[in-house]
Amino acid sequence: MTAVRSRKSKSAKNAANAALTIILPVALGVLIVALWQGGVLQKLFGTDDYVLPEPTRIFSIFQDNSSAVWANIKITTSVAMLGLLFGSLLGYAAAVLGALKPGIGAGALAVVGAFASVPLVALAPVMNNLTRDVSRVAETRSFVAKILVVMLIAAADMGLNAYRGLTELPPYAVDLMKTYAASSKTVFLKLRLPNSVPYIFTALKVSVPASIMTAIVSEYFAEFNGGVGRQIRENILLAQYSTAWVYIMAACGIGVGTYVILMIVRSIIARKFHM
Amino acid sequence: MADTEAKREVEIEIKDLGVSFTDNAGNPVQALTGVNLDIYKGEFIALLGPSGCGKTTLLRSVADLQQPTEGKISIEGNTPRQTRLARKFGFVFQQPVLFDWRTVRKNVELPLEVMSESKEERAKRAEEMLEMVGLSNFADSYPKQLSGGMQQRVNIARAFSLKPDILLMDEPFSALDEFTKEKLHMDLLRLWKATNKTILFVTHNIEEAVFLSTRVCVFTPHPGRLANVVDITLPQPRELNMKNTMEFTNLVAQVRGSFEGGSL
Amino acid sequence: MKKSIFEKKWVSVLFWIVLLIIAWEIGAFIVAATKRTPANILPHLTNIIAAAFSTKQVAGKLTASEVVFTSAGATLFRALVGFVLGAVVGYVLALLMKLSGIVEKLIFPYLMLIQLIPVIGLAPIILSITGDINISRVIISAILSFFPVATNVLEGMKAVPKDNYDLMYTYAAPKWMIFSKVLIPSSKPYLFTGLKTGAPMAITASILVDTLQGDGGLGCMLSQSLKHAMNIYVFWLIVFFCAIIGILSTYVIGWIELAVTPSLRVERRTSRPGRPKKNKKALIEKNGGMNNDSSQIQKV
Repeated sequence: MTAVRSRKSKSAKNAANAALTIILPVALGVLIVALWQGGVLQKLFGTDDYVLPEPTRIFSIFQDNSSAVWANIKITTSVAMLGLLFGSLLGYAAAVLGALKPGIGAGALAVVGAFASVPLVALAPVMNNLTRDVSRVAETRSFVAKILVVMLIAAADMGLNAYRGLTELPPYAVDLMKTYAASSKTVFLKLRLPNSVPYIFTALKVSVPASIMTAIVSEYFAEFNGGVGRQIRENILLAQYSTAWVYIMAACGIGVGTYVILMIVRSIIARKFHM
Repeated sequence: MADTEAKREVEIEIKDLGVSFTDNAGNPVQALTGVNLDIYKGEFIALLGPSGCGKTTLLRSVADLQQPTEGKISIEGNTPRQTRLARKFGFVFQQPVLFDWRTVRKNVELPLEVMSESKEERAKRAEEMLEMVGLSNFADSYPKQLSGGMQQRVNIARAFSLKPDILLMDEPFSALDEFTKEKLHMDLLRLWKATNKTILFVTHNIEEAVFLSTRVCVFTPHPGRLANVVDITLPQPRELNMKNTMEFTNLVAQVRGSFEGGSL
Repeated sequence: MKKSIFEKKWVSVLFWIVLLIIAWEIGAFIVAATKRTPANILPHLTNIIAAAFSTKQVAGKLTASEVVFTSAGATLFRALVGFVLGAVVGYVLALLMKLSGIVEKLIFPYLMLIQLIPVIGLAPIILSITGDINISRVIISAILSFFPVATNVLEGMKAVPKDNYDLMYTYAAPKWMIFSKVLIPSSKPYLFTGLKTGAPMAITASILVDTLQGDGGLGCMLSQSLKHAMNIYVFWLIVFFCAIIGILSTYVIGWIELAVTPSLRVERRTSRPGRPKKNKKALIEKNGGMNNDSSQIQKV
């Protein structure tokens, strides 16, 4: 009897706990928005509602300029996603090569790892210079330059993780394949490739937000005046803070949106392949 | 049997003990039911059974790591919690549970640090314990440098270092090879004789249970319960060659028999 | 044995660096032959090195290297202050989240959310709010280094096996001792992982903030030299300087980790592939060498 009661109270406790997990952060969010709208946040940061306009004002500016905002969102998102795609493919290919020729591969990974800690601001202008002759249209030139920067960042993330996925196999797995007299190609297709799939998502979890950040930073340096990041900067230079905030919100939206999409894709693939 | 036990002092009294919990799917599981057992001071008790029979649950209940849902455990008149707070338990886990960032010596000193013993006392006792398990030369090594058997010896040295009244051991040797295991058996028996602790030793190995203990408590699963208690009448101190005697074989057969008669 | 393996890796790294240098130089030759202003696009590495040691004054009375070093001071010092500040706040927050379920529930979703947001986009706004470039450098650097530290440390504390808590429980250890003897030491490697991620980000942030305003700092010099207000080689020097500092920052943190973790030093010394070289090579030839890591994983 006592056992049953304690079980019941335990499950009630769990339910309350689960509810708190949702209620607490939502309450905090509502509180912050309320303070912001009410002007308390502005006082707290020692600023005014010109530099930090209230949420309703940001939203109304967004509605007024929605077509321009969407166009810039499209630029940034396509730079980030194309760079991510090419970079990830490049990184994975490099990891495969590294896994096939481990002696040379180890060195390549050390070099790629070092590149990952090169500050973005050093890469972006170099890419701008390198792509000066890609096209006569500034928009296209900048587009390619930005994609190249994102590519490098995404390739480093994917390369390092995929290499681990291709080489850190379950114990004795290679030995087992050897007992079947499997060729290197079979070992690769049946063992290394599937083993690397979760690592691909580990890389993407990092590189999806990083690609967007990289796209935004390279927009700061780009020749062409487009993209969410550039708009944030330009509007602040023009002291149009409300518009700048619209673009900041857009940047946040892109970050969260792409991550949610990644998680959905991951869960679909995980279900399909029993990952 | 009743004669000799009457003279000795009961240390752990287990009465109508039952433990149930909800599994991950939300179904109630009866891990242990209706266990009655008196354990005397200085005994070496083996808790034997297949997985899911509740032997580890019993051990963890004694250590206050798990809360019984029925019945009670009393240790010299105190609850498990009071006994734990008085730091009278030494618990040896299945895994060595050593801290990688501490040297062997520092690992052995850990419980003494928790008990705020002085630095000199800690060093002295760690030295003593490491000598006892034959690891003095490895005092300044790190756990990852040691073999599995050596790690388990550090684990035992650490459990002895806080001078516990009761030593609780949860399948401590199950991951070791047979040769290392036999060596550690002899080490453990020597330590037990030298320190006169009460030992509760969980195992799923019949020979191990018979060879080490003074009494084997046989548990059967679904639901977990104490099916039989077999007195081990092998002479003390135990020697490895006793495993070749008829008496040993008979005792093993007797213990095995209590499973076959049970619900397995 | 150890030496030969070290050499092997070292040789392989060198191989790639040399390859990169060759590729760069080939590119530079092509650019020099076909473009009007090769220095803007891809100058020879020798020219960049020469610029570093040249005594020609490019800005006021400063040589190119002097320009880089004087402006680096302001930028890197603020990055360091922000980095330390962010790391401390991140660490304390991780401790608080581990200590209190309510704090964790309250903050954790935001911690995850803000990681997805390109914080660097906030840089101009923070500059407008604070109105001071140095404070902005510190704040942005702090925000960027704060997240990797907080999330990694929290992850490290959550990864502590249940056995460790059980052990401390049997000793009736008070809560603060569980922190000081189990949680803090076992999350240490995670802390350093977080710091290694955070350091280049803090540097990037500080340089980026420089570009927003015209008074000094690496980023400012970078934009000026790009706009040809200054010798273009200052730009290339800054690019290489940033790259070297970024790479160096993670190495320095790695050295610090090694210095404060004796067990790691011993582990590095003893468990570095003790396998005979010949044997390893044979394995590589037979199956692409990809399984010589598996034995180590097993051990862990």
